[in-house]
Amino acid sequence: MNFAAAVFTVALTVAGIASGAEQFSFDASEFEKKIFDTSGYLEEKLEAMSLRGDAPAYRLGYPGKPARKSLVRSTTTLEASARLNLDAFVADLRAQAVSAHDALTDTRSEATVMDSGVRWSAGPGYVVDIGKRVQRWGKGYAWSPVGFIERPRDANDPQASREGFVMASGEWTKRFESPVSTVGITGLIVPTSGRINTDFGQTGHVNPAAKLYLLALDTDLDLLWRGKGARPQSFGVDFSRNISSALEVHGEWARTLAAPRNTVTASGVTRSAQANADAWLLGLRYLTGGEVTWIVEYYRNGNGFSARELDAYGEFLAYALAPGAGAALENKARAVAQSGYGRPNPGRDYLYLKASVSEPFGWVYGAAALTAMSNVHDGSWQLTPEVSYSGLAGVELRARLVLLAGPAHAEFAEKAVRNRLELQARFFF
Amino acid sequence: MKAKILLAFLTLCLPLLASALDGLELLKKLDRNLEPESYESYRKLINIEPSGAKKEFVIYSVKKGKDQIATLFLAPSSDKGRSTLRQGDNMWLYIPNVGKPVRITSLQSVTGGVFNNADIMRLDYAVEYDVKSADDKGDHYLLDLKAKTGDVAYDRLVMKVDRKLVLPIEIEAYTASGMLMKTLRFKDVRDFGGGIRRPATVETDSPLYKDYKSVMLYSGLKKKDFPDEVFTQGFMARIDELRK
Repeated sequence: MNFAAAVFTVALTVAGIASGAEQFSFDASEFEKKIFDTSGYLEEKLEAMSLRGDAPAYRLGYPGKPARKSLVRSTTTLEASARLNLDAFVADLRAQAVSAHDALTDTRSEATVMDSGVRWSAGPGYVVDIGKRVQRWGKGYAWSPVGFIERPRDANDPQASREGFVMASGEWTKRFESPVSTVGITGLIVPTSGRINTDFGQTGHVNPAAKLYLLALDTDLDLLWRGKGARPQSFGVDFSRNISSALEVHGEWARTLAAPRNTVTASGVTRSAQANADAWLLGLRYLTGGEVTWIVEYYRNGNGFSARELDAYGEFLAYALAPGAGAALENKARAVAQSGYGRPNPGRDYLYLKASVSEPFGWVYGAAALTAMSNVHDGSWQLTPEVSYSGLAGVELRARLVLLAGPAHAEFAEKAVRNRLELQARFFF
Repeated sequence: MKAKILLAFLTLCLPLLASALDGLELLKKLDRNLEPESYESYRKLINIEPSGAKKEFVIYSVKKGKDQIATLFLAPSSDKGRSTLRQGDNMWLYIPNVGKPVRITSLQSVTGGVFNNADIMRLDYAVEYDVKSADDKGDHYLLDLKAKTGDVAYDRLVMKVDRKLVLPIEIEAYTASGMLMKTLRFKDVRDFGGGIRRPATVETDSPLYKDYKSVMLYSGLKKKDFPDEVFTQGFMARIDELRK
């Protein structure tokens, strides 16, 4: 081998090493626990909405504003979390500042403490916690009938951040070598006064609640209870179980004693009553061989409004909010909406179906989903196709289109927004 | 006379029987060489795209006994605070904003890329697999493993084992239909202290993710015992308390 050939061979070998044998290193000491730690995200969301300017819900939501066919809204959200780790004690805070701008409401800004408090871990199985906390009871994905002491989940965006209530809780957990392998007991109080938890219900109540958790025969089981106080007494049960490695089933059932119920006729006659109300949910998650995850849920809200009642409410709104109807009728329409009709899903029976696929067509870190939600009785529905991407370090991108339709006076056909396109970017820090 | 011949034959065969490879014992020894039965460790998962772009995850893991594992994501910032729990075939994912543990399956992937949940929350091989055959190939052993139940992520593993160190060199993972799902290559044997000497790098590729590669790097692996209550849903938001 001459000198040139030898040099060429060495060069090829070095190049091969450089390109093929990439060296990685990892030192765990870089990730030592910090006494003070911060994290959070900045979110930019742009919404282009097609509006029903002539719908009563529009006039209710934007009183005195001229009818519009479209609206563009930009929203900036900053959510920041801080945590102080002092051995058995952990103090934490999660706060959110939101600024939204659109042509109807100009600029709205607000800052909220979502979650904050002090946790004392007296042992692996004992925890005492005081502060503003989000309790997430139940096994449902879109709804939770047993969510007795939390703000309702938004079925349009079940994973969205929520604000907690001020509470004190104690939790005890124990493992066993038996068919019931885990037992957990949680006791809470959610006091209401003129200063705290003012939106939980009537003031001057302690509002006790409790949860018993069991992992029995590979099934998650919860027995849940909320005592009478600011809200009526409720109790319920939920379960979740993997039938196979690809199929999970879950369910919830809740009964509320003497639950208040307000209804209105088409002519505006209101009626208040109290009755025991049952709500339940049955659902499943199924992962197909093609890596598509199906989530199907049926939600029955016994205290919800029937199609006939929603139809009467729609007729009343059309009458009360018609041009020239007067301020008294408009105020009554607003009061009726706040008495129950105006909540996100006021109907009695809903079907939820979501098909999502991670990394479709080899698009690594990408995801696509199609969500359908329908009010079973009035036949109205909402369809949401979406795509998201998390391949950039510390960035999540999401785009989705929300389409709503149905017969006249039906739930999803009467909302102020007809269709909505959302573009969202989250930058984590 | 026949009895004497048979006795002589059996006597001659005894050394052969004694030297026959006990696949299960070999697999159990390999499991213990890889990790103590109860331990804590830090791992970095690197997903490498065909373009060379990388996405990294850092995970703190604790394991107790045969089938209890909990993990906590420390990076990237978008995944920080997420935790997973495995009790046998039961798996849950906890996302801080969502708040309640949600059941997940072994074939899904909380990280995306080539590694799935079963890779991240792996139990001892001897817990999930039976040894179909064990062959001495001279410079290495070859184990053919069959999943004990249909809930195991890979139906069959073909494992090449380092004869001297009794550590895996390469594992091919197959579906029940015989399709190759991924190949894991174990490299960079290091001393982690406390008598633990094992590969610090596991490289993975899959025909399902052409030209993609995933690498798992180990650090801070040490024997440690934990109370059983650590491996419960209620503790998923508190796993960080275990870190020093």
